Amino acid sequence: MDNAALIIRDVSLTYDKTAVIKNLSMTLKPQELGCLLGPSGCGKSTLLRAIAGFQSLNSGEIWLDDQLLASTTQTMPPEARGVGMVFQDIALFPHLSVAENIEFGLTGWPESSRRARVSELLQLIGLPGLESRYPHELSGGQQQRVALARAMAPKPNLLLLDEPFSGLDTELRSRLASEVRTILKSDGICSLLVTHDQREAFDFADRIAVIHDGHICQFDTPYQLYHEPTSPFVAQFVGPGEMVDAVIVGPRAVDSPLGILTNDTDLEFANGSLVKLFLRPDDLIHDDDSDYHATLVGKHFRGAHHLYEVRLDNGIVLGCFAPSHHNHAIGEKIGVTLDIEHLVVFPTH
Amino acid sequence: MALPIAVVLGFLFAGESEVWAHLADTLLARYAGNSLLLSLLVAVGVISIGVPAAWMISFYRFPGRDLLSWLLLLPLAYPAYILAYTYTGVLDYAGPVLTWMRESNAPDWLMAPILNLKSLPGAALMLSLVLYPYVYLMARAAFLDQSANLMEAAYTLGQTRWSVFRRVVIPMARPAIAAGTLLALMETLADFGTVQFFGVQTFTTGIVRTYYGFGDAVGAAQLSSVLLSFVVVLVVFERLSRYRVRYYSDRLRKLNQASLHISGSRALLAQTLCFLPVCFGFLIPTSLLVYWTAFFAELQSLWAVTLNSFVLAGGSSVLIVAVALMVAYANRLYPSKWLSHLTVLVGLGYALPGVVIAIGVLLPFSAIDHWISDRLQPFGVAPSLYLSGTIFALVFAYVVRFLAVANGNVFSGLSRIRPSLDHSGRLLGLSQMGVLKSIHVPLMRGSVLTAILVCFVDILKELPATIMLRPFNFDTLAVKAYALAGEERLIDAAAPSLLIVLVGLLPVIWLNRSVSKE
Repeated sequence: MDNAALIIRDVSLTYDKTAVIKNLSMTLKPQELGCLLGPSGCGKSTLLRAIAGFQSLNSGEIWLDDQLLASTTQTMPPEARGVGMVFQDIALFPHLSVAENIEFGLTGWPESSRRARVSELLQLIGLPGLESRYPHELSGGQQQRVALARAMAPKPNLLLLDEPFSGLDTELRSRLASEVRTILKSDGICSLLVTHDQREAFDFADRIAVIHDGHICQFDTPYQLYHEPTSPFVAQFVGPGEMVDAVIVGPRAVDSPLGILTNDTDLEFANGSLVKLFLRPDDLIHDDDSDYHATLVGKHFRGAHHLYEVRLDNGIVLGCFAPSHHNHAIGEKIGVTLDIEHLVVFPTH
Repeated sequence: MALPIAVVLGFLFAGESEVWAHLADTLLARYAGNSLLLSLLVAVGVISIGVPAAWMISFYRFPGRDLLSWLLLLPLAYPAYILAYTYTGVLDYAGPVLTWMRESNAPDWLMAPILNLKSLPGAALMLSLVLYPYVYLMARAAFLDQSANLMEAAYTLGQTRWSVFRRVVIPMARPAIAAGTLLALMETLADFGTVQFFGVQTFTTGIVRTYYGFGDAVGAAQLSSVLLSFVVVLVVFERLSRYRVRYYSDRLRKLNQASLHISGSRALLAQTLCFLPVCFGFLIPTSLLVYWTAFFAELQSLWAVTLNSFVLAGGSSVLIVAVALMVAYANRLYPSKWLSHLTVLVGLGYALPGVVIAIGVLLPFSAIDHWISDRLQPFGVAPSLYLSGTIFALVFAYVVRFLAVANGNVFSGLSRIRPSLDHSGRLLGLSQMGVLKSIHVPLMRGSVLTAILVCFVDILKELPATIMLRPFNFDTLAVKAYALAGEERLIDAAAPSLLIVLVGLLPVIWLNRSVSKE
């Protein structure tokens, strides 16, 4: 398999005797930043621990840079894999200073290059001058960046990040996710992040694998996941949206509660079949000049914009984005208009 | 409460008596040297018994592990002096072991150490065998407290199992091991029964000898003050390491699945490492005590002594816990810096050797006795002991020494009742007394009973303070065992010893329950 750093082939895993990962396969390209996104308990952390070597496989193989890390019969010990890991609880050694933490994995390096690597990394994570501090003297964000530097220090072939930002507050979380992305991109380390927070995943990853019930639902770029979900689960897990009933009325057209809508490409459904149409709040936008009106039934002020909930004349409630300054009262009739580039249609079950 | 400490400390700077000059010239160096050497040997002993055992129990699974994990605590029930009496009883020249060895022509190098049991290394061995559970407990807690993620982080950084132990596990457990060792050393410095019986001249025996042998109270008090400064150093170090224990343990994912299953010869090694201390620290001496008691004891003579002991220990421990409750509630209702400092000071009592407290109580009390006698003499009243040499003095000494034990339990019980509980009680219509009755009493019952139990056992074991302060002809179990052992009637000493050990088991069992619950 050319041009692949990490290969996971047909892997099954159990946790507490329950099967949590079922015949899962995926690959990461060199220098790619991947992400496993899924609700808690979907098995994504167990998969990460299997790659690191803390969990044995029930089936399948894991390869890294043409080297077999693990199969059902062969398991390379964690310390020999060249895989770095950043932990959810940060796990800095409390008895060692920042510099000692970072150089912990540099056994066998000459003193001078060890020191050079430490200062290079402190520069990279934006914390130069904190070498002699101890972990408990750092803020949560600083600790997490040191943990990242520690994992990067021995130049691992793959870096695993297990919900590394979940202990931090929301603002910091998103900022740190983009920062870490920049740091890893500049170092060119192939990485895999595990998270249940789609915003964090969008900030971090080149490609995201949405995991549900032990397998990958979709492995795509953030843009595609949001706008072209291939399953109802992915559609609803990645950002807000509503399902409405619709009927196929042409190769590219559906009849929906919002009227006849057309797609830019062919829809793969027979004429007349009943379908579910998935609409995101950005598909329906507020426009005072529109002739089409809906009743405002709920509003969430998000600062830069409003997320409105509007009820159409036929009783269906949809999300709708509105500019920040358009502050309407609940119960008011407001003008809405459609802004759909691509129809998301699923079969009815 | 702080009176005895203040009195003893006062003598650190007092003028020199004649005997003190003599002491300082000749004996002080010997006492200090022996105490230090004994402490050093005990430190080595408790660490080399306690740490490997804690290591095996924490990181490996093997047959018998769960049983051994609490059997290892049992030697805590033994006061070191009882262990010393028991082993001397079975190992002396005419005893069964040496007789058998002579008959089977055992080599001299094997018999010599047994013959020399009554020596400083022998005392260190006895003390180590009963004190290692402090290190075992603290080390085990520290090992179990370590985050599995820290070890995994070290593995992902390319470290081997051995290197993870060396660079992560041991450094992080070091403060806990130090704290356990320091606790053991405090007990070592406080020990009187063992060193006295083995003829090792340490501070405690020196103090008693100066007081009784030379009749020099001031010299004894000055020796006490030197011993006290040793203890204060230990207390300071112990507090420091406890502080570090706290900041090393955080809310990380705990070690559970990480323990390794072992079997075969490796399991046997682990079992042996854990079983030997239990065997020598509990099983062998207890079997001997039971055997001697069952076949040789005259139990009827023991009734009065047992009654004395139980009434004294029971009454004192209830009183101590009552005082502890008052201190705790004073702290809760009227919190102030001054009060909390005072509480810490009172807590020092437990670190003080019983001998030091006895001296600290005897001196001011006999001064008061003299004063009262002088006042009453004109009225034809013969001089008498009003305070010293009464039960009151003894109970007072117990309160000073063991208040800290009760405080620990009562404070932790009370701190679990968060103020918000009081507040909700009041908001739901209870008066202050009502809150006390329907919230505090039921919630505090466990910790209060525990405090009474632990004090009870500690008082039962306490030897030097009891010997020095008891009223004339008032014997307790510990005193009886001490007296019989002093007359070389070691087999007769078995019955009172066994009683002390059996009662001493109660808090150990309770301790194990509370540890395993965590």
